[in-house]
Amino acid sequence: MDQVLDIILRFVAITVVFVVVLLVVAYTVLAERRILGFIQGRLGPNRVGYGGTLQPFADLLKFILKEDIVPDKSTRFVYFLAPVIATMAALMTMIVYPFGPEVTLPVIGSIQLVVARFDVALLYVLGVTSLGVYGIALAGWSSNNKYSLMGGLRSSAQMISYELALGLSLIGPIMLAGSLDLGQIVEVQSRWHGTGWLILFAPLSFITYLIAAIAETNRVPFDLPEAETELVAGFHTEYSAMKFALFFLAEYINMFTVSMLATTLFLGGWNVPFADVVFGRGTFLFALVSVIGFLLKVIFFLFLYIWIRGTLPRFRFDQLMSFGWKFLLPLALLSIFVTATLVFLKVL
Amino acid sequence: MLVLLFILFGGLAVGCAVNMVAQRNPLYCAISLIGVFMSLACLYLMLAAPFIAAVQVIVYAGAIMVLVVFVIMLLNVEQEEKRRIRMGFLVPAAIALAAALIAEVTFILAFVDSEPLQVSDVGLTRSIGPALFTQYLLPFEITSILLLMAIVGAMTLARRTGELSARARVVPGDQMLALSEIDPTTSHEAPGTVEAHTTSEAARVLGITKRE
Repeated sequence: MDQVLDIILRFVAITVVFVVVLLVVAYTVLAERRILGFIQGRLGPNRVGYGGTLQPFADLLKFILKEDIVPDKSTRFVYFLAPVIATMAALMTMIVYPFGPEVTLPVIGSIQLVVARFDVALLYVLGVTSLGVYGIALAGWSSNNKYSLMGGLRSSAQMISYELALGLSLIGPIMLAGSLDLGQIVEVQSRWHGTGWLILFAPLSFITYLIAAIAETNRVPFDLPEAETELVAGFHTEYSAMKFALFFLAEYINMFTVSMLATTLFLGGWNVPFADVVFGRGTFLFALVSVIGFLLKVIFFLFLYIWIRGTLPRFRFDQLMSFGWKFLLPLALLSIFVTATLVFLKVL
Repeated sequence: MLVLLFILFGGLAVGCAVNMVAQRNPLYCAISLIGVFMSLACLYLMLAAPFIAAVQVIVYAGAIMVLVVFVIMLLNVEQEEKRRIRMGFLVPAAIALAAALIAEVTFILAFVDSEPLQVSDVGLTRSIGPALFTQYLLPFEITSILLLMAIVGAMTLARRTGELSARARVVPGDQMLALSEIDPTTSHEAPGTVEAHTTSEAARVLGITKRE
C-alpha cells in the first residue's frame, strides 16, 4: 500500500512539474515577443486577453488547427520521430531539479520539493540533453530539403563543439560541492545563511557555462541551425502545425532547463539570502520563499536570453567554431585549473 | 517489477540489435544502435550502477553515435543494395559462434549458481573516482596519453597540406591534369596525369591569379 501511495505521489509530482513547465514556456514565448517588441520600439502581441496574456493559448489553438503537411519525398518514419525525440529529451531533464527545500505538510508529512533525487543527477542531465541533438539532426535529414539538411548538419557540429565547453564548465561546481547530486550541490550553497553561492568561487566556470548553454540551445547569437536569412528556417523548414510546435516547445524547454541548471549550480538553487534568519529553516513560509526565489532566479536567466536575442547579431559559422574551440574550451580548462588549485589549497 | 523492467529493456536491446543488422538504410541502423545503447543504460541502472549508465548514454549515445549520424548525413550514404554475400566463409563462422554462445548460456543456466550477488557499490561515482586515481592511476594515465597521441595524430593528418596557405580550397570533383602542366620541369613527352586537389594548383595551371 505504501508503494502504491509513493507511485501516486510521484505521478502527481511529475504532472505538476510538467504543467508548470509548459505554462512557464508558454509565457516565456509571450514575454520574448513583448520584450523584443519593446527593444525594437514596437508593441508586440497585446490584443488577445489583457495585454496579450491569452496569446499563447490562441497560438496553441492555431497550431492544432493548421494543416499538417508532410513532404512527399521525406523519410516518413524519421520525419515523425524527430520532433518526438526533441521534445522528450527536453522534458525528461525536468524531474531532477530541486526547486525548494524539504517541507512538512499537514496531511502528507515531510516531502522534498524535487521529483527524483539520485546520485548522478548532473550526469543524467548532460546525457539526456545530449540526446536532443538527434531530434534536430534527424529532422534535417528526413525532410529531404537542402536547407533542412544544412541546418541539421550545422546543429550537430555546433552541439558537439559546445558540449565539451559546457561539460567542462560544470567541473568547477562539482569539485566545490564534492557531489554530482543536485540536492547536495544546493545544500552546500546554503552556508552563510544562504549566500554561499558557487558563482562567488567559480566565476569563470559560470561565464563559460552561460555562453556554452546559449549555443547548446541554438539561441541568438548562436542560432545558425535556423538562421532565417540564409537557411529559410533551417532544420524545421518543412515542418508545419503541431510538429513545428513541438520543436518550438523543445527549444523553449531547453532554455528553461539550462536556466534551472545555472540557478542550481551557480546561483544557490532555492537559497534565498537570510531567509533562514527571518523565517527559520523547515517552516512552510521558508519553503514558499525559497520556491519563489528559485523561480525568480530562473526568470532572470530567461530574461537574459531574451535580452541577448534583442541585442546581439548572429555569428558567422567559422567564427562560431573558432570561438568555441579556441576561446571557450581553453577558458573552461583554465577555470578548472584555478578552481582545482583553490580546492587543493583548501582556500574555499 | 524489476523482472518486468528487465524483460522490457532486455527485449528492447535485442530487438534493436536485430533491427540494426536487418536494416538496409544506414541511418536506420544507426538509430537502432542508439536504441541498443539506451536499453543497455537502463539495464545498468537496474544493476545499481547509475554512473556507468550515465556514462554509457553520454559517451556512446550522446557523442559517438552523433558523429556516426553526422557522417551518414554528410556523405548522404545511399541505401545498401541487396547483394550476394561475397565472403562465403562468414556463414559457417557465424553458425559456429552462435553455437558457442548458446553453449555458454546453457552452461551458465545449468551449472553456475544463480544466487544474486550482494549489492556492491562498484558502479557508484564515489567508488569509481578514488579507484581511478589511486589503484588504477597508471592505466588511467596511459589511456590519457594514448588519447592525446590520437588527437595530435588526427590534427597532423588533417593539416597535411604542404606549403599551401590555409585559405586554399579544394576544388570539388576530380580534375585530371597533365603532369607537365603542374610541374613544368617534367618533360612534355611524359604522358602521365596528376590530380589537382587544390584551388591554387588548378589556378596556376589555368593561368588564373588566385584572389587572396
